[in-house]
Amino acid sequence: MSKTIDEAPGAVRDARRAGRRRTMSSRSRKEAFYFWLFISPWLIGFVGFLLGPMIASIYISLTEWDSFTPPEWVGLDNYAKALTEDPVFWKALGNTFYYAAISVPLGLAIGVWLANLLNKRVRGRKLFRTFIYLPTLVPLVATAMVFKMVLAPSGPLNEALSWIGIDGPNWLLDPTWVKPALIVLSAWGAGGATVLLLSAMNGIPRELYEAAEIDGAGAWRQFWSVTFPQITPVIFFNLIMGLIGSFQIFSQVYILTAGGPDNASQMVVPLLFREAFSFYHFGYASAVAWLLFVVIMAFTLIAFRTSRSWVFYEQEVK
Amino acid sequence: MTGLASQAPARAGARRKRPEREPRLLSAFKASPATYAVLLVVSAVFFVPFILMVSISLSSDLTSSQNAFTVIPTEFEWRNFTEVFTATGLPVGRFVLNSVLIATLSAVGQVLSSSLVGYAFARLRAPGKGVMFMIVLATMMIPAQITMIPQFLLFKELGWVNTYLPLIVPNFFTNAFNVFLVRQFVSRISGELDEAAQMDGLGYFGVYRRIILPMMWPILTAIAIFTLTHAWGDFMGPLIYLNSEESMPLALGLQYMTGTSNEMQLPPWNLVMVGSIILTLPMIAIYYLGQKYLYEMNLQGGSAGVK
Repeated sequence: MSKTIDEAPGAVRDARRAGRRRTMSSRSRKEAFYFWLFISPWLIGFVGFLLGPMIASIYISLTEWDSFTPPEWVGLDNYAKALTEDPVFWKALGNTFYYAAISVPLGLAIGVWLANLLNKRVRGRKLFRTFIYLPTLVPLVATAMVFKMVLAPSGPLNEALSWIGIDGPNWLLDPTWVKPALIVLSAWGAGGATVLLLSAMNGIPRELYEAAEIDGAGAWRQFWSVTFPQITPVIFFNLIMGLIGSFQIFSQVYILTAGGPDNASQMVVPLLFREAFSFYHFGYASAVAWLLFVVIMAFTLIAFRTSRSWVFYEQEVK
Repeated sequence: MTGLASQAPARAGARRKRPEREPRLLSAFKASPATYAVLLVVSAVFFVPFILMVSISLSSDLTSSQNAFTVIPTEFEWRNFTEVFTATGLPVGRFVLNSVLIATLSAVGQVLSSSLVGYAFARLRAPGKGVMFMIVLATMMIPAQITMIPQFLLFKELGWVNTYLPLIVPNFFTNAFNVFLVRQFVSRISGELDEAAQMDGLGYFGVYRRIILPMMWPILTAIAIFTLTHAWGDFMGPLIYLNSEESMPLALGLQYMTGTSNEMQLPPWNLVMVGSIILTLPMIAIYYLGQKYLYEMNLQGGSAGVK
C-alpha cells in the first residue's frame, strides 16, 4: 500500500517535469499512448459502468421515476420520505444495524477463539481447520437452502435445544427470532476469519511468549497481552470487511424470509431491491442506496478513527 | 475472500518451528483435553449442515414431502441425483450449463482485462498515471447498490435484459481490486527482462504478451478462481437480469425450484438439496485445486489491505 502512494506523486512529478520541457520525446509520447491504450478497458468501464451510473444515480434519486414515463423532478423529497415518512426504511435500517452489531463481533469472537485453539500444538490441526473452513466455500444460495432446514421447527437446531430442555421457536416465522436466525447462519461462516487470524498468530515471535512465561503470565494474560495485540491488524481488516458485507446483506433475507414476518427481518438492500425491481420506484430506491452509502462510509470512518487507539502495528507504516 | 488461503503460511510456520520446539513446549501452545473437546464439538456443529444436506438429498419423495428428515441418513435414494435433471419440470441441466457459461466467460474477461490494465499501471509511464491510480483505489469504496439501478436501466436500454450480457460484459472492463492485485504483482517482477526485450525490438504489447503475461499466471489463476466463485454463486445479478427459465444459472434456478406453482404443494426438498450439492461441490474442488494461488493473492492483496 505504501508503495502505491509513494509512486503516485512520483508520476505527477514526472508529468510536471515533462511539461516544463514543453516537449516529450517521441519515445515517452509513444509510451504514454500505450499506457492509455492499455488501461482503456478499465477507463471505459469506469466511465460507463461506474462514474456515469453514479451521476445518473444522484439525478434519479432527485426524481420520481418508474422508467416508463418521463422522470419528474422532486428535489430531496425521496430522501425526506425515507428519513421521515417511511416507517419501513427505519425498521430496515434498525434491523440492519442489529444484524451488523451482533453478527460481526460474534463472527470475530468465534474466529479469534477457534484460531487461538488451533494455534496450539493440536494433533489433526489440518483436519479441524478444514472442517471449520468448509462452510465458507458453500455458495450463499445453498447455505440458505440448508439453513431453511436447519432452522425448521423440528430441525436439528431445535432438536439440539430440546436436549437441554429448551423448546425452540419457529425461527423464520417468529418476529423475535428471525434476526437471531440470520445471525446463526452468519456464524456458520466464521471460519473465514479463523484461517486469516490463524496465519497472523503463526507470525507472532515465540520470544514474546517465552518472555511472558518467564514473567509468570498465565494463559489468559498471555492471550490478552501477547496474542491479541499482535493480531489486531487482522481483526481490524476483518471488522471493516465484515461491517461492509453485513450492511449489504441480501440473498439470505430474500430467500429465507423475504423480509418477513411483518418486516421483522427487512434489511436495507432487500428493501431497496423491492422498491426498485418490484415497485419500479427507481427514484426512491436510488435515494435509499445513497443513504446506505453514507451509513457504510460513516461506520468505516468511525472504525478507522478508533483503530488508532487499539490496532497495534509493529513498526510505523511508511 | 482474501482469507481463503492462509494454509500455506500456517504450514511454513509449523515447519520453521520444529527445531525450536524440541527443548520445551511453551504453555501457550500446549493443547489440553479441553482444547480437543472444544474443537471436536465445534467441528461437529459446523459439519451438521453438510450432513443434513446429504441426508435430505438421499431421502425419498415421501419423506421429503412429510418433512421427516433425520440428520443421519436413513434412506439412500441415489436416483435423486439423476431425477433432479428430469423430475422437477425445470431445465436443471440447462441451469448448470448457464452457470458454467457465465462463470467461465466472466473469468476470461477479468483475466484478459486485469492483466493488460495492471501491466500498464505497473510498467508504463505517462502523465496522469498517478491520478488514474488514485481513482482506481477510490472506486473500491463505492458499494454496488449505488450503480445497480442506473446499470439496470442502461442494460435495459441496450436490450440486454434476459441475456447473459449484463452478467458477463462488465467483466471485460476489469475491476479496481483485480487491477490493484496485478499491478502489485508485476511491480515485484524485475524490470531487467522487459528492458532487454525492448532493446531487442519488442514493442509494449510484445513485452506484455511474451514477457510479463507468462510470469503473471499465479496471480491470474487467483483472479480466475475469485471471479469463478463469485459469478458461480451470484444470486442478485441473475435475479435482476434473468427471468426466463432457460437462461437462469443454477444459483437462481435453485431458488426458483423452491417456489412451487401449487400453494398446497411443498417444494421437492430432496431434489433442492441435490441441487445445492451440485452448486457446492465445484467450489470445494476449485478451492482445493487452487489453494496455493489463492495464497498468492492473499499475500498480494490481503496483507496489503491489512497494513
